[in-house]
Amino acid sequence: MDNWVKKIRKRTNLVAGTIVFLIIVFVAVFAPYLAPTHPWDDADLMISELPPSGEYLFGTDSKGRDILSRVIYGSRISLSVGVISQLINSVIGIVFGLTAGYFGRLWDDIVVAVANIMLSIPSLIFALAVMALLGPGLINVFIALGLTNWAYTCRITRSQVLGTKNQNYVKAAKAMGFGRCRVMFLHILPNIFGPILVMASLGMADAILMEASLSFLGLGTQPPVPSWGGMLAGAREQLFTAPWLSIFPGLAIFITVLGLNLLGDGLRDLLDPHMSETK
Amino acid sequence: MKIWKIGLSLVLTLGLLGADHSFAVRKGGTFNWIAPYGSKIDTLDPNNSGDEQNGLVTMNIFRCLYRWNAAENKPQLELADAVDISPDGLVYTYSLKRNVKFHNGRQLTADDIIYTYNRIANPDNALSGTQNLVFIRGAMDVFEHKAKEVAGLKKIDDHKLEITLTSAIDPAFFLYSFPMSIVPKEEVERMDRPFSSNPVGCGPFKFVKWVKGSEVVLERFEDYYESGKPYLDKLVFKIMSSSAARDLSYRAKELDANLLYATQYAAYKKDPELSKNLVEVAEMFTRFVAFNPEWELADGRKPFSDVRVRQAFNYAINTDLIVKKYAKNKAYPAISFLAPTTPGYDPNGKRYEYNPEKAKALMKAAGYEKGFDLEIIGTGDSSYGTGVIEVAIPFLKKINISASALTLEGAAKYKRQGDRNFEAMICSFGSGPDGISALMLFHSTKAKKLPNVARYKNGEYDRTLDLAAETRDPEQRIAYVKKANEILQADAPIWFYNYNKAVIAHHPWVHGIQKVGIEHMFQDFTEVWVEATSPRANAK
Amino acid sequence: MISYVLRRLIQFVPTIFGVTLIVFFLLNVLPGNAAMMAGGKNRIPPAAQKLMIKKWGLDQPVYARYFKYIKGLCTADLGTSFISGERVTDVLAPRLWPTFKLAVIALAIACVTGIPLGFYSALRQGTAMDTVTMIGAVSGVSMPQFWLGLLLMYFFSVYLKILPTVGYGNGDPKFIILPAITLGVGYMALLARTTRAAVVETLSQDYIRTARSKGISDLLINRRHVLRNTLTIILTSAGLQFGSLLGGTVVVETLFSWPGLGTMMVNSIYYRDTPITQGCVMIIIVGFLVINLLVDLSYALIDPRIKYQ
Repeated sequence: MDNWVKKIRKRTNLVAGTIVFLIIVFVAVFAPYLAPTHPWDDADLMISELPPSGEYLFGTDSKGRDILSRVIYGSRISLSVGVISQLINSVIGIVFGLTAGYFGRLWDDIVVAVANIMLSIPSLIFALAVMALLGPGLINVFIALGLTNWAYTCRITRSQVLGTKNQNYVKAAKAMGFGRCRVMFLHILPNIFGPILVMASLGMADAILMEASLSFLGLGTQPPVPSWGGMLAGAREQLFTAPWLSIFPGLAIFITVLGLNLLGDGLRDLLDPHMSETK
Repeated sequence: MKIWKIGLSLVLTLGLLGADHSFAVRKGGTFNWIAPYGSKIDTLDPNNSGDEQNGLVTMNIFRCLYRWNAAENKPQLELADAVDISPDGLVYTYSLKRNVKFHNGRQLTADDIIYTYNRIANPDNALSGTQNLVFIRGAMDVFEHKAKEVAGLKKIDDHKLEITLTSAIDPAFFLYSFPMSIVPKEEVERMDRPFSSNPVGCGPFKFVKWVKGSEVVLERFEDYYESGKPYLDKLVFKIMSSSAARDLSYRAKELDANLLYATQYAAYKKDPELSKNLVEVAEMFTRFVAFNPEWELADGRKPFSDVRVRQAFNYAINTDLIVKKYAKNKAYPAISFLAPTTPGYDPNGKRYEYNPEKAKALMKAAGYEKGFDLEIIGTGDSSYGTGVIEVAIPFLKKINISASALTLEGAAKYKRQGDRNFEAMICSFGSGPDGISALMLFHSTKAKKLPNVARYKNGEYDRTLDLAAETRDPEQRIAYVKKANEILQADAPIWFYNYNKAVIAHHPWVHGIQKVGIEHMFQDFTEVWVEATSPRANAK
Repeated sequence: MISYVLRRLIQFVPTIFGVTLIVFFLLNVLPGNAAMMAGGKNRIPPAAQKLMIKKWGLDQPVYARYFKYIKGLCTADLGTSFISGERVTDVLAPRLWPTFKLAVIALAIACVTGIPLGFYSALRQGTAMDTVTMIGAVSGVSMPQFWLGLLLMYFFSVYLKILPTVGYGNGDPKFIILPAITLGVGYMALLARTTRAAVVETLSQDYIRTARSKGISDLLINRRHVLRNTLTIILTSAGLQFGSLLGGTVVVETLFSWPGLGTMMVNSIYYRDTPITQGCVMIIIVGFLVINLLVDLSYALIDPRIKYQ
């Protein structure tokens, strides 16, 4: 009975997460139809910095633009930056971490050394170099963000593999003659997926906020195109004089990351090999 | 008897009045001040830095031959009591003050000034003030390794110094700024500790400690040559680049004064208490968008080589509204390049009013009725960076210029500025106390200090400026400067945005904060004092 | 074990050289140079800039500069700062202790609160407390540090007036509280969620199920198996965070005028004062290497199944 309730709750995570995620995707895709005004062309300085009201639900910013519309449009950049950069660094991190932990020895040494080097290079230098070599553009934002953070995922994965690889089910799988790839990706990975998913879904928030600092270097979205991180960063000195400038984009990030966390938890339960066994 | 009584009462009254005055100025206390330009101070060796963040500290430790007089808005003699100028205006003989001591107790002599200027001139030292000496005879030879010492510097005796110039200009404008601070040789050349973090000067405050990245602490120099001054026991510079954090610190009364940004300025103005003690000054910084006249469209046309397009840009934007709403009145709409406190500025000069119809007509006449796409580069600064461009974009849209912004960090922007690799660029330039050097920035051949960013070329403008530089009649000079400023305005090589209004807020117990037009943060603390109501009135 | 440590220590050398090489190359790619930036708002005239470039050797080819740097490195000479002219070691040294102190306290706050919260919510999955922890963690990472820092500053310094707003205060512990909390919250969130995930993972492993079905009390299971199995990941995660704290505290340092390495490194990058940047990177890489070695070694202590050859 208790178990059954738990299961429902776990499915609720998945359902709630999926719903939140789909809503945000919907908002991003249909932004032009949902936003009450154009997020920059309709700027009017006469209405700058108005607090939230019936007319402007989220208020207006210091450049006379409707914040609701900017939050709606901002979802496009922020969602794609968050999801894609986390996908890139999770994939790289998992592949290197799994193989390093599994094979050990020289390969492990090399991967650990490279990961340490990546962790030690300040992301600012990396971002500036990407800007200098590749120029501005959203793709380059993905590169800058995706390539800098994979070392975390890698090291977490590796540590998990080290703890798992001598367990009975792994030994059993090896004894049954399964190939290395199969053992790594089908037997070990599902057992260590939880922490990786958590890292990726929480890391989204970081990526969304980081995007704003990249745009100050010319890499990320450029004004007047809105992104949540950029809206927050632009309002940092006005936190007390005009709090609505930062509250709404902040909430948008919070809801997105929450949704992805729920989705991550739900996915983990769905993929959990032990759960399916007990079915 | 009666007379005696009257006499006594007179003496008493006068004495009281005098006493009243000296009562008013209170000695003692610690002053918590800020270093707001970035999160660092690099060096306290004044000769080695042009960065105002370092300068706002070192100017209170060191002294130059001249000092900026904020009240009269011009440089004045500081380390000398008098100067004799030869009739041809080329030889300056300074009678140095005899009571000037360095913080190590040694008296300042003519040798120190000669040592300092030679140090600055030496190209191997690569110090930032070198260009300030070009007008001294022999300085160029030192730059070019042809001589070891500047020939135009001559010691007559310990307290008499003779400087020979190459042309009859006023050296005050070149010798008052902090990179020209006089330094003692024995301290600079000490091997046991670096001068850059153990500065020794002859200014009102001596160095105590520097917690790098956090604060610099100075204390009163008892042997300072202006007797009785400075009043403060201690002066602390807190390195605080976040204006929001400064605001909180100021409200918590941990700071005695604060430099305000637009958003706080608007908030303080509304507050009955905070609005009482605001010191505002029109700073000599002009913010503008420079157009690149050589930039080509895909079809080979160069929009900004056409004066009508540049004028249209100026007419199209409602500058007054932007200054009022976006800059929150913490700026003055620009007329031409020269700022209000610079001699030669004409408050009634012709300016570009907001006139979108005229802008459209000019665009049409120039053949750009359909407009063009334009990328404007700048830093992320909210007052003179791409934030301003964001506000201007909707206005430009109305004359069919589809503008976009590209934010760059400082060095990347300077690189593109130097390479002239931009279509248009927003920036802030110090327009300075001297109208001629300010306008030289747009001289087509003599823009030495900084390259002519807008690549502006106008023979008449150049000639007018040359005449201004040659004439020795001050009134005639200002007339020329005024004229050049007008020519610049009409040709519009830039979008004239605004002049900064710098605002310092201080608590009611603070006295002596000045209006410093060259840079409001260059506060000289010799005259600043705090009442007993300061929370740090007795702090040591 | 000893041979393992030796092998790892030897590996430090190529890693350090690798990082100097990559950073040197990347810095060289960046537009602009220190002379352009040396004047702050008052730009330095081009003629003076040329002198500076010559003095700093920036007119020489990259490889020549790199070899000169490596030669210095072999004699423990990290070079001199372009802008201040001081030795890099002198510039870095006073920044180490404040940075280290802040990182340790922030991490301690994160561990002391994050790990128990993670355990608690894993063992009580689906309860209100679990949900609250999750929402708290998500807000912890979604809230920019400057937000949190300013809110804390407002509440404790302006409103309650019990803590100073900014500064280092000569090491007075009152000054470190707000920056450490601001810095620790994000890591706490991350740690709580990672711990929870790891514990949930372990709880669903077969041997735990077996133990449970044998009637061994939950408490005993928690202590013996779960803790041991999750400690590796917690340690890895905490170690990584400590490493990133060494150079990644710039927002908090700037906000609270904290004299740490982070602001110095970021400024040196913006101002193209490359010797300082190199010096900071050197400290961070050594920090990472040492911490990771310690973490790897502790794997073996915690979990005897992990063996090092």
